[in-house]
Formats: sequence, C-alpha cells, structure tokens
Amino acid sequence: MASLLLRQSLTKTKPTAIIRRFSTAAALASPTEYEEPTGITMKGVKIPGRPLYLDMQATTPVDPRVLDSMLPFYLSRYGNPHSRTHLYGWESETAVETARAQVAALIGASPKEIVFTSGATESNNISVKGVMHFYKEKKRHVITTQTEHKCVLDSCRHLQQEGFEVTYLPVGSDGLVDLDRLRKEIRPDTGLVSIMAVNNEIGVVQPVEEIGKICKEFNVPFHTDAAQALGKIKVDVEKWNVSLMSLSGHKIYGPKGIGALYMRRRPRIRVEPQMNGGGQERGIRSGTVPTPLVVGMGTACELAMKEMEYDEKRIKGLQERLLNGIREKIDGVVVNGSMDRRYVGNLNLSFAYVEGESLLMGLKEVAVSSGSACTSASLEPSYVLRALGVDEDMAHTSIRFGIGRFTTEEEIDKAVELTVKQVEKLREMSPLYEMVKEGIDIKQIQWAQH
Amino acid sequence: MAASGVSAPTRTEVLHLYRSLLRVARQFCDYNIREYTKRRTVDAIRDNKNLTDPSQLAAAFSDGKAQLEVAKRQALVYSLYAPKVVNIFGVTNASHSSLGAIWISVVELVSGFMRFYG
Repeated sequence: MASLLLRQSLTKTKPTAIIRRFSTAAALASPTEYEEPTGITMKGVKIPGRPLYLDMQATTPVDPRVLDSMLPFYLSRYGNPHSRTHLYGWESETAVETARAQVAALIGASPKEIVFTSGATESNNISVKGVMHFYKEKKRHVITTQTEHKCVLDSCRHLQQEGFEVTYLPVGSDGLVDLDRLRKEIRPDTGLVSIMAVNNEIGVVQPVEEIGKICKEFNVPFHTDAAQALGKIKVDVEKWNVSLMSLSGHKIYGPKGIGALYMRRRPRIRVEPQMNGGGQERGIRSGTVPTPLVVGMGTACELAMKEMEYDEKRIKGLQERLLNGIREKIDGVVVNGSMDRRYVGNLNLSFAYVEGESLLMGLKEVAVSSGSACTSASLEPSYVLRALGVDEDMAHTSIRFGIGRFTTEEEIDKAVELTVKQVEKLREMSPLYEMVKEGIDIKQIQWAQH
Repeated sequence: MAASGVSAPTRTEVLHLYRSLLRVARQFCDYNIREYTKRRTVDAIRDNKNLTDPSQLAAAFSDGKAQLEVAKRQALVYSLYAPKVVNIFGVTNASHSSLGAIWISVVELVSGFMRFYG
C-alpha cells in the first residue's frame, strides 16, 4: 500500500498542483518567496541551491526514523499523558514512560531520575537557580567556568544579583579547566559546581571524571551541561559522579523544544521548581508533557546508543579530511582548543590575516557559524575564545565547522574548496599579508597616528 | 511475533531486502538522507555478513525489514514536503553514483554469500 502511494506521488507533478480553489490548506502549501527554480535569493545573496549544512552544533536535522516515531502522536494518538481515565491518556503515558527509559539507558541512569523539560536551557536554569534557592540557608557559593553556555552564565549573574557569590574559573589556552584551581576554590559553603562536558563552540571535552571525583571528595553537587555530549561521547552518570545533568533533544537528531534533566536519587539532590503548576514530572516541572517531542527524543537516544560507534569512526575520518584538506592548501590555520581532548565533530579554526565577517560573507554556499549561534547577533568576538586567550583579530576570524551523521565526503571536499578559495582571495587583497610575506613582524609595527 | 521468525533468512531474501533498501534510498529527495541511507545499508549488510548464529541472523533480518518499512514511509513524507530548490549538489550526482554503488555492492555481497554458504 505504501509503495503504491509512493510511486503515485513521485510520478505526479509538483505538490502545489493539487491545491483546490476553496481549500484551507492553501496557506501552508504556497511556495516561499525566496525560492525560484534557478536558486535562492535572500538578504541580497544569490546561491544556486540550499547550502551545505555544516553547523551541527547549532542544531541537527531530524533523523527520518525519529520523525517516523513521532508522527502517530500528532495524527491519531493525540492524548494528554496525564489523562488517567481513557485510552488516549494511557497510550500517551506508556509512550512517555518508554521514552524516559530510552533516555535513561543512554546515560546509565534509572528512568525515575529523568525529568522532561523544554530544552537544555530550561534544565540549566532549574539546576543552577533551583539548587541554590533550595539550599540558600547554608550554601552561598557557586563555581563555574568562563566558557559555559550563556544560560548558565546568565543564571549565575542572576544569582549574584540576589546576593550569592559566584567564582568563574579561568581555562587554559587549550580550553581545559585547571583541576588544582578548582580544588582550591571549593569552600565549605559551595552549593554547586557547574562545568559543561563538551563545549559547543570549541568542542573541548572537559575532564569530567576527575572533576566528579573532586566534588565527591568535598561532597559538593556537580552539575554538567551535557547537551553537546549526549550520544556523541560515552556518558555515564555513575562514573562521572554527577548530581544533575542537562540534556537537549535537538542536538542528537531529535526534535526542537524538548530536553531532559537528570537528577540523582542516591544521594538525593533537591531543587526548587521554576515552573509551578499541577505537579507533573514529580513537581519539578509542571505542565503537560509534550508526547510527540518526548517520543522523538527517546527514539533519538535509542538510535544514538546503537549508532554511536559507527558515527564516531566516520566523523573522525571526515574531520581529518577537512583539517588536512585545508592545511595542505593554506598556512596560518590555527585550531582553537585542545586537539587531543576534543569531540571529533567540532572543528573551530582561525585563519590568520583574514577578516572574519568578509570570510563568512563569502562562504554563503556552506552553512557554518562563527562563534556560537546564541552570540552571533552581537559584533563582539566570542567570549569563549577570549577566555582561551586568543588574540582579538584571530578570534574574529574563527569559523566553527560542525560534522554530523549525515555529512558526506563530497560536502567536506566542497567546503574545503570554498574555504580555501575565499581565504586565498581575501589574503590576496590584504596589505597586512603582503607585509608578512616580506618578513615584517606585524606586532612590532608602530602605527603612525594621523 | 510469528514463530517462523526464528529461522535464518535465505540468501535470496537478504538480497531482496538489500535491493529494496537501496531502491528506497534512491527515492529520498533530500541529498543527505539519501546518501546516509545508501551508506548505512551497505555498511550494515557488510557488518552482518559474517554472522553464523541463526537467531542473530533472524534478528538482524527482521530489524532490516522494520527499517525498510520506516524508510518507505519517510521517503513518501519527505517527497510531500520537498523544497522547491534542492541542495547544491542537485539530483544528477545521486542517480549516477547509486547505480554504480548498487552494482558493486551486489557483486560484493553475492561473493560474500558464496563464501559463507559454501
């Protein structure tokens, strides 16, 4: 039956041809204004087709298997999982509990320890603000790093305004946190240590096991933002000794708008809820649990467990191909962050003697980002690169390539070709580069004031 | 689940599944999903080539059949919402490379099965 439908629909003309005159579906099916048969024109740029997607740290495409598991819950099984009196509620609840078990299996936890939220940002907010508000009588100090995600840093700033004390640990030039420094900063009134497992901008993997050991020694709760780490590196809450962990759905080929929070039960960590209401999700996060999104996240986690090894091997090969391809053709390429302790799918490169904005403007056929998506609105260079101690000019020219499950060798080769072409073109035009080629050291120049 | 699922699949059944999966892969209008489905099918069949235990073979085969059903449905869904403009690499790359890939992988697979089944 499905194959008949498939053959019929694929041999038909464009789907827009079947819109009837009085149909209310017209608004959805009309073609978007910026797409023409010859290409796409948007914001004054014309490209022949949709760009290659190399920005997997910002978000990932939804895997077709995940979409397949979500659709029935939008079409016929649309019940509210908290309805106890009829089949629609019971089947929704079963689906949510299955998904909970799938998420828990991926991180080595028990299903009772998983709370579904609207994303890693909400989970981070609940962890940081919720823990400190709960223990505010005895604990007034929080330790975090300078390279955390904006939501953690902003929550800490909010706590500072309320009167708590926050220590922002510096990182080395390789992006890793100094363990001795951490040990020194822990005080008797430290209520939380929050360090992310895999950084979204530079891809560096922090030594979470050692940090967990230190926190266990001093009996301080350890929170980690594992949004980028889930499904990519082996996550085990027992080995890492985490009390709280934030997870995100749309970074592991799942839907957007869903995340989870792992909360340890032995020893129990308590938080003050940020969303009050009917007491869903054990009172931690009230609100109807979105069944389709939760089922999607569960399927994505199950897939990640099966495919982790295969994906990692492949992405490692692609990363080497990308880096070697670029390094062969041009020099002055610096990798930001440690090369050994890094997640293979994230490559953050700085190109010397090239201006960042113009490089990005020329790379319109490749969808990459400079810095992280949350900070790309402002003109400042990314705070993560600044914390690494990268010079201002190198920080401006940084490009983050994100490689994922669906990236092909062809795309990598094309990205290499386009990047090299653009960098060479910009360097050709740059007088600074001419001076460097002649052997003048730029840092020693005394710029004359006019 | 039917009791007949315990017996190992025959060579023709596996080849049929393999060809169907590759045929469905070709029907995806999204470049990345198409390439992924082809690549994953070839790699999965190749990895499972050396299994000898009949229950493991049966499990892998039924898993493959379930994946085929998912892929068929999703190829349809993706085609219903296909964007007007395709990825930069377009459609022409796919048809050429997929024929070659199917031919080479079928030959490889058949020779693998010849070795296994004796």
